[in-house]
Amino acid sequence: MIQVSNLSKTFDLTRQQRKELNTEERTALAVDNISFRCEPGRIFSLLGPNGAGKTTTMRMLSTIYKPSAGEIIMGGTDAVKNPQEARRKIGFLTGSTGLYARLTPNELIQYFGELYGVSKDNIAKRKEHLYTLLDMHDFQNKRIGKLSTGMKQKVSICRTMIHDPEIIVFDEPTSGLDVITAENIIHLIQNCKEQGKTVIFSSHIMSEVDLLCDDLAIIHKGELLFSGTMNDFKGQMQTDNLTAEFIRIVHQSQNA
Amino acid sequence: MIFTIFKKELKETLRDRRTLMMMLVIPILIFPIIINITSSVSSSFQEDAATKKIKIGIVESKNGFLAKELSQLPEALGKKELVTYADTTRLIKDLKKDKIQLGAYVSANFQLHVDSMIPAPVVLFFNATDLGMQERAQGYMSIIEQKMQVERFNKLNISQEKTQPIVSEYRNIASDKEMIGKLAGGFLPYIFIAFCFMGCMYPAIDLFTGEKERGTIETLLTTPVPRWQILFGKMGVVVLSGLLAASAALFGLFMSIETLNGIDNAELMAVVHSILSPSFIVLLYCLLIPLTVFFAGVMIPIAVYAKTFKEAQSIITPLNIVMVIPAMVGLFPGVELNGLTACIPVVNIVLSTKELIAGTLDPLLVALSFIVMTILAVLAVFISYRRFDKESNVVL
Repeated sequence: MIQVSNLSKTFDLTRQQRKELNTEERTALAVDNISFRCEPGRIFSLLGPNGAGKTTTMRMLSTIYKPSAGEIIMGGTDAVKNPQEARRKIGFLTGSTGLYARLTPNELIQYFGELYGVSKDNIAKRKEHLYTLLDMHDFQNKRIGKLSTGMKQKVSICRTMIHDPEIIVFDEPTSGLDVITAENIIHLIQNCKEQGKTVIFSSHIMSEVDLLCDDLAIIHKGELLFSGTMNDFKGQMQTDNLTAEFIRIVHQSQNA
Repeated sequence: MIFTIFKKELKETLRDRRTLMMMLVIPILIFPIIINITSSVSSSFQEDAATKKIKIGIVESKNGFLAKELSQLPEALGKKELVTYADTTRLIKDLKKDKIQLGAYVSANFQLHVDSMIPAPVVLFFNATDLGMQERAQGYMSIIEQKMQVERFNKLNISQEKTQPIVSEYRNIASDKEMIGKLAGGFLPYIFIAFCFMGCMYPAIDLFTGEKERGTIETLLTTPVPRWQILFGKMGVVVLSGLLAASAALFGLFMSIETLNGIDNAELMAVVHSILSPSFIVLLYCLLIPLTVFFAGVMIPIAVYAKTFKEAQSIITPLNIVMVIPAMVGLFPGVELNGLTACIPVVNIVLSTKELIAGTLDPLLVALSFIVMTILAVLAVFISYRRFDKESNVVL
């Protein structure tokens, strides 16, 4: 379970950034007092256009960023006060995730397993299970730099799942991937749901959201515009389809 | 966890060709190549200069004294051919065109001066761009002068001893080891510092800026490993790379001295062997480890701050000069380790090493140098930690 309460994030702006953004302000508010809840066995989607604050929120959930205000409870652990403990429960995957090109998948998975404190026996068992699931046996000892994008994506998934996390945070996981490669991620998200894990993913692709999510929140310029179940969202739609409704809500907030 | 990160980073670093080149291949090969080229070029030059047959143009009266004396000199002093000129204008012209390599003008009243027992003038022309010619002329003239001097003493019936009122004997009380230490001892730490910096540079950029640029740092930061442990694991590899590069350079230098006859003098070789004792090497590394940590601690905040490999490289490369200049100061003879120099980073390590090689070390000053360097290294590590802990620096 993820419980987010009154979460905010403010960044200090450098002189260069102030010049680029054409502002005199010394700080920028990226996430403004948002609250939502993700339940185990359900898929939560954080929707928003580019620059809405999705990645900042996801980075706060995965403890890379420290919130300026608010509370994050990850599986019963306060992720702000005890980030180390919270990280043990989280698997984090982004579309732009890089991998160590000079290592082999085997070496990389072993490394992350050790960093998550998984015992050697369990690493071996989890590796075997995930390799079979993702059909990775053939390229487990090749250098990652020589693998195709699809193979690399499988390695990323395996890395995310090696410690069998109870919460999975996906930040635009399919961005930049072709449909075949993106399918691996879609399957992974569905599998996680079946296993009763808590899943949150950020996206701006409505077809993906429609296919996967049970609950959703729409964020724009750091503010939460909607938070509820997919059924609630569909029930109050004023347009024909999800994409049009998403655009309508964003525009409405801009005009308000 | 620090060791897990260290192991993985080391494995990755050793698989990077660029880092391997900078860390091991270049440092090992640089001295054998330089010494080989220098010794072969200089020996061929010396051989060439000694055996080269030169033409000497002479302007003097018929049956001249100098031509006769020169032709009597043994061929072991270099082959020569004498050419007679009528005037110095033509002689200088030919000297410029390299038709002749030396010229001599003996005035018409030369013999008169000799007979009157007063100094007889001889003008010698040479081209300074033709290396070794002035020395060749000086060699010839000193033999001729000595011969004439003996003749003059005999003629005057004076014992040569009587013209020498004092016999001065200069005795050097410094051992060869001390002299090498004081005069050339700064060279060893200088090499170490230069290569250590170069060895640290690529891993520092690769492990911090590179990780940020490749997008791998985010995943590392989501693992339950405290950031200081990640920093220490990575920093360990940067320090080790610096030490490896410097050790490889010293190994290359030692091998070239041993196998390529970099030092011809057997006594000098014995001194070099006595300097390179195990206790000296241990003490040297004790002094150099805090320096390497300091280098890593200076580079890491820059590498953490930079957004691209190029940006990091463009800041760290000029820093190389800033770090190596103090090392050069320590190379100057006469710059000694004292209370002041022991507090100047980098300079203190070079001077301490010089004292160590010379065997004249003052334990208090060496300890002070070590403490100063260790404090600076700790400070640099602390700054690295503060930078690495700052989220805006770590994530793009």
